[in-house]
Amino acid sequence: MNLRPAVLLLLVLVPVLYAGLTTVYGLLFFGDFPRLARIKTPALLVTVTFHCVYLIVRTIAFDHPPITSVFEIMTVLAASIAIGYTYIELRTRESATGFFILSLALAFQTASSLFIRDRFDIPVYLHSIILGFHVSAALLGYTAISLSAAYGFLYLMLYHEIKSSRFGLIYNRLPNLEMLETMSHRAEVFGFVALGVAIIIGVIWLPRVFHDFSYWDPKLVGTLVIWCLYALALGAKRRLGWQGRKTMIITLVAFCFVFLSMTVINLSLSGFHSFH
Amino acid sequence: MNLHSIGISHHTATLDVRERMWLSDDEIKATLPRLKEQQHFAECVLVSTCNRTELYGVAAGEKVDEAALKRFLIDAKSAAPSVSEEHFVSAHAGGAITHLFRVAAGVESMVIGDVQILGQIKDGFNLAKESGTMGPVMNRLMQATLHVGKRVRTETSICEGAVSVSYAAVELASKIFADLAKKSVLLIGAGETGELTLRHLVGKGIGQVRVANRTRERAEALVAAMGGTVIDYEEIVDALRSVDIVVTSVTSPSYIVQPDEVQKVMKQRSNNPLFIIDIGLPRNVNPAAGKIENVFLYDIDALSTIVDRNLDRRRGEMPKVTRIIREELISFLRWQNSLEVGPTIQEFRESLEAIRSQEVMTNVNRFKPEDRELLELVTRRIVNKILHGPTTVLKQGAETGAHTEDAVNRVKALRELFGISRNGGAGHEE
Repeated sequence: MNLRPAVLLLLVLVPVLYAGLTTVYGLLFFGDFPRLARIKTPALLVTVTFHCVYLIVRTIAFDHPPITSVFEIMTVLAASIAIGYTYIELRTRESATGFFILSLALAFQTASSLFIRDRFDIPVYLHSIILGFHVSAALLGYTAISLSAAYGFLYLMLYHEIKSSRFGLIYNRLPNLEMLETMSHRAEVFGFVALGVAIIIGVIWLPRVFHDFSYWDPKLVGTLVIWCLYALALGAKRRLGWQGRKTMIITLVAFCFVFLSMTVINLSLSGFHSFH
Repeated sequence: MNLHSIGISHHTATLDVRERMWLSDDEIKATLPRLKEQQHFAECVLVSTCNRTELYGVAAGEKVDEAALKRFLIDAKSAAPSVSEEHFVSAHAGGAITHLFRVAAGVESMVIGDVQILGQIKDGFNLAKESGTMGPVMNRLMQATLHVGKRVRTETSICEGAVSVSYAAVELASKIFADLAKKSVLLIGAGETGELTLRHLVGKGIGQVRVANRTRERAEALVAAMGGTVIDYEEIVDALRSVDIVVTSVTSPSYIVQPDEVQKVMKQRSNNPLFIIDIGLPRNVNPAAGKIENVFLYDIDALSTIVDRNLDRRRGEMPKVTRIIREELISFLRWQNSLEVGPTIQEFRESLEAIRSQEVMTNVNRFKPEDRELLELVTRRIVNKILHGPTTVLKQGAETGAHTEDAVNRVKALRELFGISRNGGAGHEE
């Protein structure tokens, strides 16, 4: 069965759905549209479902999971951010942060849809289950870190508004500081653990598959540096009792570093660890 | 429609006057049946709160003697001469219903969006039920009023946001902390606003309460009423180490808490957020302490900003509230109209038929016997043709509900023009 037309349709449809969804959450955050409030969660579920269908159809159509290039990874990352957020919204009934987090998913999905290439000729080792675990753990880690940064950003906005006695829209709509800090911290811990798992699997499994494996591989070194940064940040919170604004700034700085280093590494890399 | 409202409120009367006119539940239960007995109203409800005493009723006869009603209410409370007829305002038909809906929506309250009033109106209707002065119209009006209140609360944010300084402090606390039950508060000074803020915090389930006051007895009395522990006034800076919220309202010529003390305390408390509400005048905490990280310091001006902003937001919801009131008014009038249209058409028909048969009877001898059947037929046809137009228009109004107020007025006009009394029957000349 030729699934290419379905892939093409979903390739366009999914970012359009995200754009619509982000607009709905944006209107709810910045304006007053009680009727929209009723459709937001169903719209979220529909978008996430279509995204999952897209990933499945793509996997079948091209005979490999979409984890072999930066832009394939980006759509999976967008899906996992959206799924992560859906879980949070359904569990906490807190939807004020939706606009900011779904904007992140929209950005990743748009970039993916624009630049993704259809490929069949991928190496055999990319079909490996262990690689699946390795990539899944890394993706979960980066998703959690992204969510942590988003909550950290919202924390800083609210902190600034409360401190400066402005009490505007941010003050009205966002949940309380402690909740934002807790969400950011939990996501960070989760991301830290997941990245750790990805690194361990990678270090044990990759040398057995790749002949040109090197412990000086930039992506491995980059991820290790990031992991150590988060270890330091989490350690400082625990040991030195850092709280609030300072730790949120560290979280955001670490995320900027993740984003920059991963972009630079992925764009310039040509060794075994590069995407195909 | 013969629905009337009459009463006093904070718009028309001072607190003294309102106090004189305030009715307890027992007084309401004693007054309502008398209003019915004295033929003022067929159905009636009294709502009495600290801001208003208002009577709503369906007139027993054609007209309501408002002056007599005002005197009745004043006499019921023996409130003359402090209270006079000028203190009262009245409305009828759509105006009376709109007024009740506005009261229920909280837009007539002293503080716009007051949430207590709906409960008080409900109590008023329940007292009327107990007193036997409710009827079909008032029952329907009660449902509609409660529906307005519910819709206003769910579809608008007119009741949202703190509108008092003490409550604004609590609102702010819940924007900083996730769960107040896990937090503790220290009240320094047992002044009125401080105590009120503490009361709100206790109402929100604050975990622990500590009170420090120069006069220890006063602090002990407060703790006895609200729970918690008393600490020595000299220990307040030490106590900052372990509490999350500080409410301070003492009269002191100089600051009782300095930035360096707070800085030191923040280190000791692992930089845990500290929320300080300084409602002392002059201020009790050096404002420079507010610059320290994770210290949230607010004085009465900052809290007033929240109150003003919330009041503005509530006022901004007025168009939505007005729309809801308008929709519910139309719905009520539609129901009212559907009740009145059927009997009115019937009575109108009977009225014209009475005229026709009387005229036929009077003049029948002027016609030849063979023409009398034709006379009967022609006059009936004339009456039917006259009836056709008004009947169609009235029925259409009742069925579609369009221009309900117009439809109600048409029924009223028809009754007046053709002298159709409310109890049925024609009022035409004999």
